[in-house]
Amino acid sequence: MFIDPRRCIGCRACVSACRECGTHKGHSMIFVDYLDRGHTTATMPTICMHCVEPTCALVCPADAIKVSEDGVVMTAMEPRCLDCRNCVNACPFGVPKYNTAMHLQMKCDLCFDRTAEGLKPMCASVCPTGALTYGRYEEIVPRRRGVRPVNVHVFGRQRVATRVYLMLPIEEDDLCVDETAEPSFRESWLDAQVENADKRNEF
Amino acid sequence: MKDEEWSSLATARVRALIIAAAASAALTALIYLGSRRLEHYDAALFGYTVASVIAFGAIIFRYAIWLRRPATRRYWLRGWQLFLDRKNLGRNLRSIVGTAFGNLVAQRFILRRSRTRWLMHALIMWGCIISAAITFPLVFGWIHFELEGARAYRAYLFGFPTVAVDGRSIVGWVIFHALDFTAIMVIAGCAIAIHRRLRDRGAIAMQQFALDFAPHLLLIAVSVSGLMLTVSSLWLGGYMYSFIALAHQALVIMTLFYLPFGKFFHIVQRPASIGVELYQNRGREMAQARCARCGAEFVAQAWLDDLKGVVRELGFDYRLKSGRTLQDYCPRCKRVMRGLAYAALAQRSGHD
Ligand code: SF4
Ligand code: SF4
Repeated sequence: MFIDPRRCIGCRACVSACRECGTHKGHSMIFVDYLDRGHTTATMPTICMHCVEPTCALVCPADAIKVSEDGVVMTAMEPRCLDCRNCVNACPFGVPKYNTAMHLQMKCDLCFDRTAEGLKPMCASVCPTGALTYGRYEEIVPRRRGVRPVNVHVFGRQRVATRVYLMLPIEEDDLCVDETAEPSFRESWLDAQVENADKRNEF
Repeated sequence: MKDEEWSSLATARVRALIIAAAASAALTALIYLGSRRLEHYDAALFGYTVASVIAFGAIIFRYAIWLRRPATRRYWLRGWQLFLDRKNLGRNLRSIVGTAFGNLVAQRFILRRSRTRWLMHALIMWGCIISAAITFPLVFGWIHFELEGARAYRAYLFGFPTVAVDGRSIVGWVIFHALDFTAIMVIAGCAIAIHRRLRDRGAIAMQQFALDFAPHLLLIAVSVSGLMLTVSSLWLGGYMYSFIALAHQALVIMTLFYLPFGKFFHIVQRPASIGVELYQNRGREMAQARCARCGAEFVAQAWLDDLKGVVRELGFDYRLKSGRTLQDYCPRCKRVMRGLAYAALAQRSGHD
C-alpha cells in the first residue's frame, strides 16, 4: 500500500468506500484530516500503517490485536477486546477507533476480506488521484517519478517501521514528526468545530 | 531474545507453574472434602475428575502468564486498587454490579453488534454454564441424589440434605433432563454460528479453522454424544451405551483441555472488563488530560500516565523535543502533526 498525501484532494471518496468493507460494516476507519484550514487546503489521509512492531498490539491488555502472516495488523478479536482504549491512545498515527456500546475497537485491516482474495482495499479502489494506491512495490514505484517510497517514521526519539509506504520528496529517507508551533488562531477555532468524538476516535 | 529476557521469562513460567499446581491441589482438596472424604464420590467419573483438575491448573497457568503483559498487569493492579479504595465503596460496588450484569449476564454489547450473534452467544453460553453448573458438582461428589420412598429423590449438597423432588413430576423430569435441554441450546447456538461463518464475507476472510470452527464442532460433538446417551438409555435399552459414554468422556476432556487456548480463553478473560470499566467510571471523575495541542479533554490524566508507563515499559520512547510524549496528544492531533510534518517536507523541496 502506498500513500501520497500530496495527491489527496480531500474528496473523501475513501471515507465513504471504507464503510462498505465487510470486516467493519458501516463504519469508516480511514481519516481525512484538514491540516490548517486557515492557511491551506491540504488534507492528510490516514490509514493504519501496519507497523512492523505495532504499538497498538503490544499495549493491548487482552492480547486482542493479531498480526496476519503477511504482516497485516488486524482489527481487535471480538471476543477478547475489552474496550480499554489503550491502543486508541498509544498508536503513534492516531488510527484505532473504539465504540463503547459495542465494547469494541476497530481499525483499518487493509480490507482483509478483499486483499485476501487479491482485490484492492476499498479506499485504494476509489481514490481518484492515486493518493492511495495498492499494489506490488515493483509495479507502483517505477510509475511514480519524483517521489520516494519510505516506510520509516520518527516520532520524537522513536523510530517506527511500517509495511505501508509513504511517498516523500526524493531526497528524504524518513518522516520526522515532532512538536510544531502551536496551532494558529484560525485553525484552533475551526478545530473546535470538529466533534469531540472525532478527536477521541469514537465511532 | 536476550539472555536476561530468557531468564525472566523462565522465572515467570516457573512461578506460573507453581501457582497452577497450587490451584490444582486446592481443587483436589475441595473435591476430597466436598464429597465427604470421597464417600459420595463416584469412581466411574475418575477420568472426568482428573481432567478437570489438570485443566483447572492449565487455565490458572495461562492466566498467570497473561497477567505478565505490562498492560494487563497495570489494569489488574489498578482495578484492585480502585476497588479497595474505601471512600468509594458504594459507587464501586454499583459499577461492578452494573458491569457484571450488563456485560457478563445480559451482554448488551453483543446485542449492539448484532441480534443473531447475541442469540447465538446466549444459547451457547447459558447452555454451557448450566451444563457446567450441573455436571461439575456431580462429578466432584459435591451433589448427590438418594432415593427416598418409592420415587422421590433427595439432593444432598456437600453431604447435607436439601430438597426432595418427585422423580415423576414435571419438575423432576425437567431437572433430570436439564442436560438434554442445554445440549439442544448449545447445538442451536453453534448452528447459528457456523451458518454465519459460512456466509458472512467478513467472517470468512478472518476465520481460521482451528480457532473459529474447531470449538463449535467440539461443542456440537459433546452435545450430540450427550444426547445420544439419553436416547440409548431411554429408547434403545442401553444399546452401545458404554461406547457412547466413552466417546462423550473423550470429547468433554478434549474441550476442557482446549479451554486455556484460542477462542475459549475469553471465558476466563472477559470478567476483566469489570476492572477496566471500573477504571473508566472512576476515571470520569478524575482530572482529565487535555490534548497538548488542541486542548480537548480526551482521557483521564491518571489513565494516560498509566498508558505512557506501559508504552515505556514495552521499550518504546515517544518523547518529543519539548519533553512531552506523543501520547499527550489526542488521536486527531497526532494525525494532524504528522500531516504538518509531511507538508513542511513537501514545501521545502519545492512541491506544492
Ligand atoms: S499504525 Fe497504529 S494501529 Fe496501525 S499497526 Fe501501527 S500502531 Fe497499530
Ligand atoms: S481497546 Fe481492545 S484492542 Fe484496544 S487495547 Fe483495549 S482491549 Fe486491546
